[in-house]
Order: sequence, then structure tokens, then C-alpha cells
Amino acid sequence: MTLTEPAGAAPAEETRRQRTQRTRSRSPMKRGMYPFILTFLLPPVGIYALYMLSPYIQAIYISFTDWSGLTTDFNVIGFDNYVELWNDDQIWTALRNNLILLVFAPVLTLLLGLFFASMLNVGGKRRGVAVQGVRGSSIYRIVYFFPQVLSVVIVGIVFKYVFAPESAGGILNSLFSFIGLDGLTQLWLGEPSYLIWIVLLVMTWSFVGFYVVLFSAAMQSIPKEIYEAALLDGSTRFTTFRRVTLPLVWDTVQVGWVYMAIQAMDGFAFVHIMLGVHGGVDGAGDVLGVAIYREAFSNNDFGYASSIGVLMLVLTMTIAVLFMRIMRRERVELA
Amino acid sequence: MATVTYDKATRIYPGQDAPAVDNLDLTVEDGEFLVLVGPSGCGKSTSLRMLAGLEEVDTGAIRIGDRDVTHIPPKDRDIAMVFQNYALYPHMTVAANMGFALKIAGTPKAEIQRRVMEAAKLLDLVEYLDRKPKALSGGQRQRVAMGRAIVREPQVFLMDEPLSNLDAKLRVSTRTQIASLQRRLGITTVYVTHDQIEAMTMGDRVCVLKDGVLQQVNTPLALYDKPANVFVAGFIGSPAMNIATFDIVDGKAQLGEASVPVPTSVLSAVSAEDSSTLTIGFRPESLVPASSDNGGGGIPVTVDLVEELGADAYVYGHPTGPAAAEQVERMRSEAVIARVEPRMAPNKGDKVVFAVREGESHFFSAKTGERIEP
Repeated sequence: MTLTEPAGAAPAEETRRQRTQRTRSRSPMKRGMYPFILTFLLPPVGIYALYMLSPYIQAIYISFTDWSGLTTDFNVIGFDNYVELWNDDQIWTALRNNLILLVFAPVLTLLLGLFFASMLNVGGKRRGVAVQGVRGSSIYRIVYFFPQVLSVVIVGIVFKYVFAPESAGGILNSLFSFIGLDGLTQLWLGEPSYLIWIVLLVMTWSFVGFYVVLFSAAMQSIPKEIYEAALLDGSTRFTTFRRVTLPLVWDTVQVGWVYMAIQAMDGFAFVHIMLGVHGGVDGAGDVLGVAIYREAFSNNDFGYASSIGVLMLVLTMTIAVLFMRIMRRERVELA
Repeated sequence: MATVTYDKATRIYPGQDAPAVDNLDLTVEDGEFLVLVGPSGCGKSTSLRMLAGLEEVDTGAIRIGDRDVTHIPPKDRDIAMVFQNYALYPHMTVAANMGFALKIAGTPKAEIQRRVMEAAKLLDLVEYLDRKPKALSGGQRQRVAMGRAIVREPQVFLMDEPLSNLDAKLRVSTRTQIASLQRRLGITTVYVTHDQIEAMTMGDRVCVLKDGVLQQVNTPLALYDKPANVFVAGFIGSPAMNIATFDIVDGKAQLGEASVPVPTSVLSAVSAEDSSTLTIGFRPESLVPASSDNGGGGIPVTVDLVEELGADAYVYGHPTGPAAAEQVERMRSEAVIARVEPRMAPNKGDKVVFAVREGESHFFSAKTGERIEP
């Protein structure tokens, strides 16, 4: 707490230094320790407070005003923004979409990530070798990581083309026509009920590679003998995965889950680029991030946008805490 | 209960010319404790892993009992293995570790519990059953690994240097525990170690390997008394046997001033293979101090170091005299080692002449390294 004290709090600083000197004067090494440490700690904490914490606090304050973002004057309007939020159907749509992403994106991404990672590292089967990846796993490893190298913007633009109508260069529809499945062609981005699922698909595609690499690293750190022991104990590949591999990479899965959940709460870039600032047809693909952007920069209502932001902050923190609570297990050490 | 048979089993690692295990022919009797021993890289672990099914058999066959297991997966071989680093499942309790194989096999819970408890009592692990491996000491982990094997009630136990991660004192006590446990259970055991003392003290029979080739397999005492070749002679025994290549001069083995009597049967064997040199080995306890005037025989040695062990004292020395340089070059061992009476041990720097006790020399062909039986 005292670390964030501004320079104006010199008297407190002074007394502490005196106290420090008195108690530690026997040890010349330690005499200058506190000022020394503070010199290193204060700048980063100060920068963090200035650029990270203060915007949060300001945003909370702005959410109680009707500030347009363009003027210097604004009125404090109490909870009006939050009342409006409660009655805004579009926000409910965005929230519902975020929750869909929150439930399905981590499940889908982590399951695929775990599946691919275990295939790459421990899924192979060859006589006389206990642990290895499937044939050609080094190539798959690179291929899976590709999407992670691409910027989200590029991914969004590419998939906009994938799902576009054939006349606009729609890759998926062209493919269907080409192989004679014309019946399957659709105006993918024109159907409101598809939108969020398409976003989910693209999001999963772009993040799976990262989790493959993350889980691969975790699996590589499991001693080979443990797999050999499991093999001798009569464990099949699936049992080994469920009873040995998964428990031993559980910590990593947990971290990955939280990270992916935060990604799902965001989703701004994908939706904004693929579906536009209004969240696609009827706003059906809207997410909270896009709603904030829209209210702030399109509708010039920073007060309202801030209240959505505060809602998102609360949701994200709640979810992170809940996940950590639910998924906490005894930490496993590789003995 | 079963025998284990290696029938010309060979393992060549991909990308290598020399086989890691070369035409291994070996039979382990039912209920026998066989120790595979050799220096690192000799193929002993590979042999064991071939039997476990963790390593492929390129040519030849391996049989457990009458069953050819060469190409069947590890889980169907009815074996249990104790790994060097124990390979305990870190996320499971001791009880779950020991019962894992049974659980997978679908054994009823009560039965698993009974067998785990039985093994835990046998190994003194009852109070640790609910702990995770990380909360156990090295010795306890080792016992859990043993327990995991015992619970399986397999036909064959495989142990891959299970004691090498323990401290010296614990190793000695665990050594006897494992050996007596194996005798009590009567399960055929193949045990790999690089430590020849472990091999000698634990095994019913000991199998010495070098560069993937079987050198000799016999009871510990037989290996000690009649090593089949120079390698086994130098490997078995601590301190090591003194080995050097001698010239045959006038029916005696000569090396500089050192001279050792040679039986006529050995002399004729040497001349039969058209050689004038002979490799002779003698154990430290076969050397006795001799007065230098006993007819020119004996080996003059300058003492470098005396190891006082209380019951014994070992003298480490180097050959002296005009031909010392040649003698050192011809020696296979680092130093001349002799066991002496601890109360009459020479001092550092003393010059002592040692003679070899009658009939306690080991003779080997200088060309092939094979033993020549006098």
C-alpha cells in the first residue's frame, strides 16, 4: 500500500527510513535496502497505477455520467446508464453471445488442443516404443501453430471471405458448388442465428494452435518412464490419457481455461472485422466489446459505453475467480 | 511362475551398426533371481526392456514360460517392472499407485484393497497409503515401486537399477530386503545393475554383459573363482583383480623382475595357440608378502597407498625395478592391489615383494582373452 504513495508523503518515508536505520544499523548491507528496493519498485507500480488502475477507476466514474466523449462538460446522472443497460435488448443479445462464447470456446479449444497435443506427443503407437507422437507429428506441430502467427485482423478478413456469398468470393460456398453440393451453399453471414457460431468457429480455429503448443510443452515435461509404467500396467492409450496425462497437465489446462475464457469475454476483433460495428445482421452477432466501441465512437455516448465496460469488468473478474475456485486441485509435482 | 528364455535375441537401434544386444542366449529358471550386470552401455537395460516389451526385438525371440512374447504388447506379458526413478504416478496416492494396474484390469474394489494392503504390510507402507509420492522419502518411494510390482502378482519381476537412487547405507539394507522378499515370493526376477557388489550379493546367478555380448553367466562364486575371460575377471570382485600380460620365459611367466610360476598344462595351451605371452590375473587376497630372496620369484611393488578397513588392509602400489615402465604398460589394472594383514601393513613408500599363492592365479589367453584352465 505504501509503495504507491506519491512523493508528497515524504514525512512517512522519512520516519520509516529512520526506523529502518535504527533497527538494522548493525548490518551495513541492509541499511540502504528499503530506499534501494523502492527505487526499483516505485516506477513500475507508478506506471501501472497511472495507465492501468486509474483508467478503470475513471471508467467507473464516467459510467455514472452522460459524457459524450466529445465535450468538456457532462452531468452525473447516477445509475441511469445501468438502468438503460438493463432495458437494452441489444446488450442482452451481446451478453448472451459472450456467454455462448464463454461456455463453448474454452471447451472446444481446450478439448481440441488437448487432443492434438496428445496425438503429437504421446498418441503414436509403434511397436517397442512407449511414448511418441503420431507419424509426421513434427509437421503437424508447425501447421497447428500457423494461425497463431497470423494477426487476428488477418484471420477475421480471411474468414469474412470464407463465409461470403459466392459472388463476393465466398470460399466455402465456391467449394460446395465445386464438389457438387450446391444445396449446402448459404448466405452464411446473412443468417442471424449462425453468426455467433461462425465467430466461435473462427475463434477456436485461431487459438487451438496456441494450446497445442502449450499442452505439448506440459506433456513433454512428464517423464517417459511414467508412460512406460502405465503401459506395463496395462493402460490403453485412452486410459493413459485420462488417468495419467490429463491429471499431470491439469495445471496448464486450468491456466489455459482462464485465458481462453477471457478471450471469449472479449471477441471484439473477430466480430468487428467479420460482422461490422453493428454485430452483423440484426445485431445478432454482437458482443459486449463491440457494443462498447459502438456506443463510444459511433453513438458518442462514453457514459453508456463505460457502463458496459464496467459490466464486462465485473463479469470477467467473477468468472476468473469462479474458475480458479472450481478448478483448483492439489498441485501435482513431478517427483 | 515361469522361466524366461532369450533365444538369440538381438536389438539394433535405428541408425546404428553395432547391436545394443547381440544374439543373447539366456535362460532364467523358474523362481530364480538373475542379475544382469555390466558397465554402462553394455546392453543390460536394453535386454531387460526387450523382455518388458518396451524395446523391440530385431531378430531372435523371447519366451516367458512356453509363450513366445517377442511381438506381443507389454501389457499382455504378465510382467511387472521397477524403474530406476520408480516412475510413480505423482498425482495418485500410494494406494492408488499400487492398485492402478488392477483397477485398469477391472479387479473388484475389495480385491484391490486386499492385495494393496497385503503388499503394504509386506513392505511396511501401511501408514503411507494415503500419501502422494512427493511426501515420501527415497526409500519409501522405492518400496512403493516394489509394491506396485508385487500387487500385480506377475510371472516375472523386472528391476532396472532400483537401488541406484538411494544413499549407500539404505542401499545395503534394501538390497537384502529385496533379495529375501524375492525368495519369499518365489517369483522369477531379472535384475539389472551396474554395481557388481549388488550383483554378487543378490543374484542366484549373475550374467555379465559387455558391448551387448553375454560374457558369462553363473553363480556369483563361480564367476569369482573361475572367470571365463579377462573382462569378467576384471569386472567381478572389489578391489579388482590384478591383471597383466606376461612373457613366457623358461616355463615361467616373466614381466621385468616379476615372475609367476605357470603350470605345464597352461604352457602347452599357450604354445598350442602359437603365442609367447600369457595374461595372468590374481586377486588381491592371492598375493602374499614374500622375502626377496625366495629364488627370484615374486613381484616387487612400491606402496602408494594403504587402505585400512579394520578387518583388512589393501595395499595399492606400482611396480618398481628397472623394467617398471614396461610393467605398467602391460598392466590392465591401474595399480597392483594386495590384501595384507591390517596389523602388519607396510607404510607408504615401502618396497614390498609379493608372491602369488600357489594355484590362485588365473590364466587367460593373451590373444583371445579366454580363460585357460590349468
